[in-house]
Amino acid sequence: MSSILLYNALIGGLVFGAIYALIGASLNVMMGVLRVVNFAHGEFVLIGSFLAYSVFSLTGLNPLAALPVVAIAMFFGGVAAYYLLIPRLRYSDDAETSSFLLMFGVSLMLVSSITWIYGADIRPVNFSFDPVNIALLTVEDAYGKGRDGKVLVPTARLVALVINLAIIAAMTWFIYRTLPGKALRGAIMNRDAIQVVGIDIDRLSANAFGLAAALAGVTGVILTLVIPSVDPNGGAPLTLFAFIVIVLGGLGHPIGALLAGMLFGMVEQFSNVLLPQSAAQMVGFVMLVAVVMFKPEGLFGRKVMR
Amino acid sequence: MSWTSDPILVVDGLVKRFGGNVAVNQATLEVGRGTIVGLIGINGAGKSTLMNCIAGMYRADEGRVEFDGQNLIGLTPHEIAAAGIGRTFQVPRTFERLTLIDNLMIPMLNRPESEDELIALAEAGLAEVNLHDLKMNNGEELSGGQQKLLELARVMMLEPKLILLDEPFAGVNPTLCTLITDKILQMKEAGISFLLVSHDLTSIYRLSDHIYVLNQGEVICEGGVDDIRDDPKVVEAYLGG
Repeated sequence: MSSILLYNALIGGLVFGAIYALIGASLNVMMGVLRVVNFAHGEFVLIGSFLAYSVFSLTGLNPLAALPVVAIAMFFGGVAAYYLLIPRLRYSDDAETSSFLLMFGVSLMLVSSITWIYGADIRPVNFSFDPVNIALLTVEDAYGKGRDGKVLVPTARLVALVINLAIIAAMTWFIYRTLPGKALRGAIMNRDAIQVVGIDIDRLSANAFGLAAALAGVTGVILTLVIPSVDPNGGAPLTLFAFIVIVLGGLGHPIGALLAGMLFGMVEQFSNVLLPQSAAQMVGFVMLVAVVMFKPEGLFGRKVMR
Repeated sequence: MSWTSDPILVVDGLVKRFGGNVAVNQATLEVGRGTIVGLIGINGAGKSTLMNCIAGMYRADEGRVEFDGQNLIGLTPHEIAAAGIGRTFQVPRTFERLTLIDNLMIPMLNRPESEDELIALAEAGLAEVNLHDLKMNNGEELSGGQQKLLELARVMMLEPKLILLDEPFAGVNPTLCTLITDKILQMKEAGISFLLVSHDLTSIYRLSDHIYVLNQGEVICEGGVDDIRDDPKVVEAYLGG
């Protein structure tokens, strides 16, 4: 096997892993603080992708131009959605199950809305960077004796990776180094305690919902660089990946979700290279089942900071 | 008739039901300003439920809770905390994966001081309960008794007028019990009032200015230590007749 393929798998694993990490971490914040099973998280990502598509198709600008607008709009949209939907769950006998059903409904509603606005077709985002590819390194004898090969990576993917890692770093700094971020983690650890020390749990939860929505939207923008098309039905698989990442990393562990996302991306990409395609798709899910069976608190359940 | 001329907390006819189960039934009590009031009763008597109703964790079905002249019914737990009521829990609810400093800084989230000033306040709070040397440890690394002290220090960051203490001595070694008792008495000297729930009758008798006895959600008697100690209703409630 050409080692170029392995290098490509490594880079692909980093790129997709960072995306899964951000999707999983944002869902983890929402579920941890609010105990809301957000089945519409993939659609939140999709909204970011479609807004990036709109910016690109209307202006011809780089889809990344949508990043600040998406972040701000999704944050405030998330805060508004929180106050509209979530406080009513308090009156339910089983708030978590109700939240799942509620957000499943929101998911269907968002897919319908996106289809209504954009149509059912998959939309291309044909923006290209100059140069299209960057040769990261040369591998000697990649294709046999004397035939060197270059590891070419699409510039868009590298840009996506760098921006994604920067956002992850900023999110990690916020959650672990600032007092509001620590309060969010405090709410994840104990909702009762956070309230009796004078913190408005509704306001904190609304901000967590907004933050998670903004991060999901931003991930959607970045995703258009990695997969240059947007599909109105593409939300469900993203939601599934987000839940897998949470199970792997451990609920309520933002850092665990980041590590699990990277791990899942790596396993997926290396499986694509090393295994037959049909078997490769199974590996990530086998890992999920194994974790549920043997380490239900998640791979990083007790080893990372919550 | 009221036992105190200056009540800071008045609970009047409070009822809390869970389905058909009446956990608190027409409970009436008062906490005098700067006093320690004991609340005793066997397991399931409704002590913690009553505490939760006062702290806003549960919404009372009937009755009135008035704190320093302010009606607390309908307020959220954070609003009640902001009004000046702190509470601790029977099983300490520290932020187990935050450092002790962070545990004490979270109650000061909305305060205007700089971060350095907040850290200094938190460190002083930890020193008050002899936990300063562990300031960078996580809450989960403390013993049960130390976690109770941490909760007490955390409550103090709110600058409360009244503290609801739920079983502060349960599962705590005698040395830390003494430390907690001393802290409570110091705070009382500083003018803070307490509603103290405990199974440890010795501590309750030693600390309380007035005691209420709860049985099956109802206040069955009240009085000073000497009144309560030999009251046949208390003996019956505790020993089953």
